[in-house]
Amino acid sequence: MRSFDVIVIGAGVIGSSVAYHLVKKGLEVALIESGGVASGTSSRCDAVALICDKKPGIDTEIGYASIQLFKQLAKEFSVDFEFSSRGSLYVCETDKELEIAQEYVTQQARDGYDMRMVDRHQLQAIEPYLADDLAGGIWTEVDSSMNPYKLCYAFVEEGKKFGLQVYDYHSVQDISLDEKGKVESVVTDRGTFKTKRVVNCAGVWSPKIAQMVGVHIPIKPRKGMVLISEKTPLKVAGQKVHEFGYMLSKFEDITFKRNVSELVEKHNVAFTIEPTDARNYLVGGHRAFNGYDIRSEMEVMRAIAERAIRFLPVLKDINCIRAYAGVRPWVEDHLPIVSEVEEVPGFYIASGHEGDGISMSPITGRMVAQLITGEPTDFNIDKLNFSRYKQKQQAVI
Amino acid sequence: MSGDQTVICRCEEITLKEIKETVERFQCSSREVKLRTRAGMGPCGGRTCRCMIDRLVEQLGGPKISNDVSLSYRPPVRPVSFGILGGEPK
Repeated sequence: MRSFDVIVIGAGVIGSSVAYHLVKKGLEVALIESGGVASGTSSRCDAVALICDKKPGIDTEIGYASIQLFKQLAKEFSVDFEFSSRGSLYVCETDKELEIAQEYVTQQARDGYDMRMVDRHQLQAIEPYLADDLAGGIWTEVDSSMNPYKLCYAFVEEGKKFGLQVYDYHSVQDISLDEKGKVESVVTDRGTFKTKRVVNCAGVWSPKIAQMVGVHIPIKPRKGMVLISEKTPLKVAGQKVHEFGYMLSKFEDITFKRNVSELVEKHNVAFTIEPTDARNYLVGGHRAFNGYDIRSEMEVMRAIAERAIRFLPVLKDINCIRAYAGVRPWVEDHLPIVSEVEEVPGFYIASGHEGDGISMSPITGRMVAQLITGEPTDFNIDKLNFSRYKQKQQAVI
Repeated sequence: MSGDQTVICRCEEITLKEIKETVERFQCSSREVKLRTRAGMGPCGGRTCRCMIDRLVEQLGGPKISNDVSLSYRPPVRPVSFGILGGEPK
């Protein structure tokens, strides 16, 4: 029977990064994936690492550290993942939004982050094609972009240089425990692997993996659709541009009403656009609870286009060539789960990043490797511990 | 024009040579070929070249997985402007 120090389940961006960081520590690691590398959410997403869409505190701290790691990896890796630090622009539609944005920026700037308000004239200077009736926005210098599936390929290929073994098209059927309840082996449809440690990086599918050891993970798939533009010589957007109202589509506790159509409201659509290296633009964004269904929905496509031309009228004459959808691993407190599960020694979870998986992948991989080798983690990650859900259940009882 | 210079994906101008090299180097599925080379990611969304890519991967010995989903078609069927899609009156 093949035997490994650690088995990582799921070769999306989190699993790929975790596996890479573990082999770099000198451990023998297998990365097991039911499909191919980056065949789930990590190839059906957008392509940015941002701090401007994080909440102040640990969310932003970890996001910032992750971008710094990206910069280092982009230099170290021989595989290119199209990393670029271009900054990002939030746009506020109304003075009310601008007021809320100002409070947010003040708080982030107090914590030392380079985020600043821009007025309506500066908006036009940064993005000449923006509608001319917008109130202002936020510029975030550190925000960056990359190609998400090439990032997964890069982690895997760099990991192989340190001996990473990849078992793609291996579907995990069971995880067996020894008589003391510790992890003993991983059973797949193509053989069994012996190990004392498993890291569950299966994203939206991680609850199914956890069930095999009797653990319930409260992750729900949260769908998002993206439209792709044709290649155009027009510089429609120089970097990520999104409406500040995006924050309200992401966080349920931010409550201000946008002046939007019923269709846009119904599908929780908030405008975002990103340029890609291939000169197409990715236009979103959308959040909905709809199970694991990733079919494209015509109504959502219409809502995204409607909202996009409100902010960038130039898009009216540019073609949409394709639409795709993915499902984000959502948790109610919007913080990823990065910890060992107390009840099942050797069973670790690195999941629940919602839309921040790409963004948070380097720091997540690094901290899981620190946890497993018994080193202190870069951050105090008590808040990311899985036990927070147990405490909550007890509190409810 | 040598056979290897044959264009497989007309939209993204990807040649037979590029596709062959990708499959041989990474032993990958059609979907991975698409992601790595951009073949099938242009305006027609792979409606022209998808079958050729699937067959090439099969012939060149990519992963032989019976339940592997081949390349999918995504809407819209033909490119449509954001203006029309977004309900802008013509």
